[in-house]
Amino acid sequence: MTSVENLDYRVEHLRDRLAHEDIAELGVRVEARGAWVMVWGGVADARSRAAVLRIAAEELEGVPWHEDLTVQHAGPPGSAEVLS
Amino acid sequence: MIRIAAVGDIHLGPGSAGTLRPAFDTLGDCADVLLLAGDLTRHGTREEARVVAAEVAGLPVPVVAVLGNHDYQSDQADLVTRELAEEGVHVLEGDGVTLDIRGVTVGIAGTKGFGGGFAGRSAAEFGEPEMKAFIRYTRACADGLGRTLSELRTRGSGLRVALTHFSPVPDTLAGEPLEIYPFLGSYLLAEAIDGAGADLAVHGHAHLGTEHGMTGGGVRVRNVAMPVIDRAFAVYHLAPPPG
Repeated sequence: MTSVENLDYRVEHLRDRLAHEDIAELGVRVEARGAWVMVWGGVADARSRAAVLRIAAEELEGVPWHEDLTVQHAGPPGSAEVLS
Repeated sequence: MIRIAAVGDIHLGPGSAGTLRPAFDTLGDCADVLLLAGDLTRHGTREEARVVAAEVAGLPVPVVAVLGNHDYQSDQADLVTRELAEEGVHVLEGDGVTLDIRGVTVGIAGTKGFGGGFAGRSAAEFGEPEMKAFIRYTRACADGLGRTLSELRTRGSGLRVALTHFSPVPDTLAGEPLEIYPFLGSYLLAEAIDGAGADLAVHGHAHLGTEHGMTGGGVRVRNVAMPVIDRAFAVYHLAPPPG
């Protein structure tokens, strides 16, 4: 069984890979929760999402993990905020 | 009303060229200026900067930017700045720009800023050379921001905006792990903003944070990191000064 300590290191190894691989993704949150690892946050596009999931699958092999990665919208805003 | 559009953390590169351009093409209808709050690229390469420059080239509104930590990753920040400047982007670092918008002089003061944390929980300029250099760098960024805001007031700016990548307040970091707040911003930036005064402070960097905050001096702060606002840009309407 994977110990909590080992999970912590696996989490950091994944975060390190996300930062240093081509995707350079530092905005995704990765945390150990009990025996699971959670990967969540918003990424720029579907390609980035696929890359994060691929790297997570490689780095977390053998570890149960969940993801909740969303792709941010690139459309214009529907309204403005009035500051007065 | 003066209409300020802003977005940060767009992280463009060769694979994402054109992603934001359709939305940016609508700026002429809804904004008077576009502010870019840093992390415009992924790795800070010249090639990525060219993609950013093309994304904003020829827009019907002026574009004002600061760089972010990602834009420094390849140690080519000067080249990134040059690529953007060649397309007419005002790239600020410890300086400012004034824009005449329908007769109102709007001043933008910008710095990337840096970390250190927030009042009562911040790092001190003490001990090892690396630790002192860390805080001195943040202080230099904040000093440049405050000095520029003061100069903009002296030069008659009716509205002033502080543009940073790192956050001046912890409010807009809510959602980020508390433990990393010192890497997301510094109270020194807020102290500079409050000392010189501003009508709005805009930053990025905190992807998991929230949009709305305020300095202790009452200056509204907006985190416009694209994952936070979840659109190509946000627009804020500021009332011009009376008279």
